Amino acid sequence: MKKISMYATLLFVVIISIFPIIWVIISSFKTNAEILNNPFSLPTSINFNAYIEVFEQYDMMLYTWNSFIISTIASLIALLCFAMGAYVIAKYNFKGKNLFYALFTLTLLVPGHTKAQPIFSLIMNLDLYDKKSGLILVYISAGMAISMFILRNTFLSIPKELNEAAEIDGASFLRIFFTINLPLAKPGLATAGILMFLNNWNEYFYAMLLTSSNSNRTLPLALGFFNESFSYDYTKMFAALTIAIVPGILIYSFAQEQVQQSVAATGIKG
Amino acid sequence: MSKNRNLKWIYLFLAPSIIIFAMFYLVPIITLFSTSLTKWDGFNEPKFIGLDNYIKLFTQDSFLISLKNLAYWGIIAGTLHVGFAVLIAFLLHKKPFGWKFVRSVYMIPNIISVAAWAMIYRFFFNNDFGILNNLIRKLNPDFNVNWFFESPFAFWAITLTWLFYGVIVTLIVFNELMSISPDIHEAAKIDGANEWQITTKINLPLCKNAIATGIILSITSRIAMYETIALTTRGGPGDDTMNIPIILVNAINDMNYGYANASAVMMFLFGIMVLVIINKLFGINKEH
Repeated sequence: MKKISMYATLLFVVIISIFPIIWVIISSFKTNAEILNNPFSLPTSINFNAYIEVFEQYDMMLYTWNSFIISTIASLIALLCFAMGAYVIAKYNFKGKNLFYALFTLTLLVPGHTKAQPIFSLIMNLDLYDKKSGLILVYISAGMAISMFILRNTFLSIPKELNEAAEIDGASFLRIFFTINLPLAKPGLATAGILMFLNNWNEYFYAMLLTSSNSNRTLPLALGFFNESFSYDYTKMFAALTIAIVPGILIYSFAQEQVQQSVAATGIKG
Repeated sequence: MSKNRNLKWIYLFLAPSIIIFAMFYLVPIITLFSTSLTKWDGFNEPKFIGLDNYIKLFTQDSFLISLKNLAYWGIIAGTLHVGFAVLIAFLLHKKPFGWKFVRSVYMIPNIISVAAWAMIYRFFFNNDFGILNNLIRKLNPDFNVNWFFESPFAFWAITLTWLFYGVIVTLIVFNELMSISPDIHEAAKIDGANEWQITTKINLPLCKNAIATGIILSITSRIAMYETIALTTRGGPGDDTMNIPIILVNAINDMNYGYANASAVMMFLFGIMVLVIINKLFGINKEH
């Protein structure tokens, strides 16, 4: 009896987690009439018409590209900036070291949405409103706490002796960082990079606040617009939803352990 | 010797992080608090008006309803939501058949965009072709509810989009459970403790900090809940599902920046309050 209720609970977890998504994916292959007539039925034929139409008639390719390029550039720049910061915090002693680390990681406690107006004005003043670079800047800053936390731990786990030996050999500061520490920090860099990429890929709030034109629209934002323009064409809507959610799930399935471990350690959601 | 030479590099390496921190955290937070006391449209100079924005907030229906919603959502998040997530962590800890699969799959709703999840639920709860209502109609053919657009259902529809999805809490608590030394359990078994006693008398107290962290995270995410609402009910019907971030964005769109920042300061303060209260309740920071 105890066993049965345990498995029933776990089955419930599995169902609520994937059933809505599977339903959306299956429905994207059904015709509008099929969706309306019987929400439980399977598609009568598998074709990618809705996907082709979404890509051809709407700027789906553009939105996907925007999301991809903004997320990637922001994650890479953030990774470099915060790896440099986390590295010196982990490896060197200097005045204010602990204060800086505390400040950088405390940013986790600031709900992102609260800074909406100051960041909106900042981006306006920098003349970056409705530009991809504006969004990239904001996304770089959003990754601060996660990356600092993960990367500092990574650099701490690299033996100090390596730096000492290299210094005796006369290697420069930059050389020690780029050729010794950075390659050894790959696992941490990958974890922080994946987490930041997923967060950027999914971000909606600042994309909505800081862009206005179609040409700079990201995928999550486009979903909101589709909802209005597709109105009663549910097949297309489901196809668009599928396009928006599948890449994240794929990335996650390749990097499950890292994502789960770091989420548990930092308490940050994707 | 090499120390001084390195110091230049150290601050050069730290510089990007410091600049980002200053530009995107320090200055915005100072702006937030200082301009919340002003009337400001972003173009003209801010005009100091004292606590007027706050008085306006606390006399406006939509804000008061937001507070009420937040109270309900906060309580539900801190009890049912976290309770369910902790239960799953304890079940997974027993390592039943397929536990790794369940853990992986439970993460998926958190991996995809909140915006997409809101849309999925919007269709899932659709009265005509949504799964939920069609299932209910198998039992009660006359059932018709537009979940996101009818009072009082909208509030519960929003709640259901996150109620059972507590995987972050599950993972935090699960990690804590895994770190408990097996010796403790062995010793307890030798002393004649049964499984229920081990769970409630040993594991649960040892997970106290993890659970507190989970509660804080869960409640603070309710404070910041924007996408789910903006893409489904937009705060409606009436003000039924109003939340502070919706008020914040509306105020920014109206160029009412001082007022917007006053509402943001309230979000900020509520977050800190939750942190302090939960830490006090759970007695964290006392012994370690």
